[in-house]
Amino acid sequence: MSNNRVTRRQFLNYTLTGVGGFMAAGVLMPMLRFAIDPALQVKAEGDFVQTSTKIADITEEPIKVDFTFEQVDAWYKSDVTEAAWVYKDGDRIIALSPVCKHLGCTVNWNGDSAHPNQFFCACHAGRYEKTGKNIPGTPPLGPLDEYEVSEKDGFLMLGKKIANTLV
Amino acid sequence: MYYNVQDVTQFQSQKDFIDTVIIPLLSVNLKEDMIKQSSSATQYLMSLTAFIEQQFKGRIMLMPPFTYIEQFKESISPLDIQEEFRNAGFKHVLFITCDHSWTSLKEKIDVIWLPSIPLESMDQTVKKTILEDQLKQVIPILSSKWSQN
Repeated sequence: MSNNRVTRRQFLNYTLTGVGGFMAAGVLMPMLRFAIDPALQVKAEGDFVQTSTKIADITEEPIKVDFTFEQVDAWYKSDVTEAAWVYKDGDRIIALSPVCKHLGCTVNWNGDSAHPNQFFCACHAGRYEKTGKNIPGTPPLGPLDEYEVSEKDGFLMLGKKIANTLV
Repeated sequence: MYYNVQDVTQFQSQKDFIDTVIIPLLSVNLKEDMIKQSSSATQYLMSLTAFIEQQFKGRIMLMPPFTYIEQFKESISPLDIQEEFRNAGFKHVLFITCDHSWTSLKEKIDVIWLPSIPLESMDQTVKKTILEDQLKQVIPILSSKWSQN
């Protein structure tokens, strides 16, 4: 019987360990939260931007689709309009960035009459195939970037810029 | 290219490709009856030059506007500015302005004069269409410059 009795010393040990544990946890938990905070943050509802182009209107011929999103640069908020060249390849919808991989100009589809069915950059005569593949011998060193594509209520949604997956 | 550190660094390493500079000449007029018109022209010129920059980023550097008030217009000397930019390695120095008086120098400098269009009353899509139309007027001037050499 007396073996099971909790002595005063044991009792104090237990309570102090318990209380101390809680205190340590109280200090450490917020630190831990801060450390892993980015992982806990909820991602803003997708990163897709709605465009006014209907999926059904997209054909095999690339068309320019403009889309606007808000950009915050320190205190300066502005609406940025960007564009994409969008076309259908079989059932798949391809959206290519119009930004030339050479020095960042804007490329045009069929911009050069001497080279039909290619993207053309007027600055230094850079050319790309329909897939966005840069044509060797022209200044660009890489293929055009691609946008992630999604659909909502029949309208085209454009997402993040990713490296070209077609080439 | 804009006149900021990042783009200037790229300019220094790519001088062969970035050979054109666009310099807006901007008049600021604070008189009661002119201030609205002057600000509207500013807005137009800034939007248009930013649009040109976006389209031809890899070949054009857009300078911050050279701004003046009417009384001290003489303090701006496009000929000297042109000289300075040529020495810095720009083959083509183009001025762009809504102030008609600069066209008197068009024998000596390349100046694009565009009458200002009041963009403030337009919604986003109309504005875009207008700017695209205006850009189409500037493109032939640029390509004729670029095809000279």
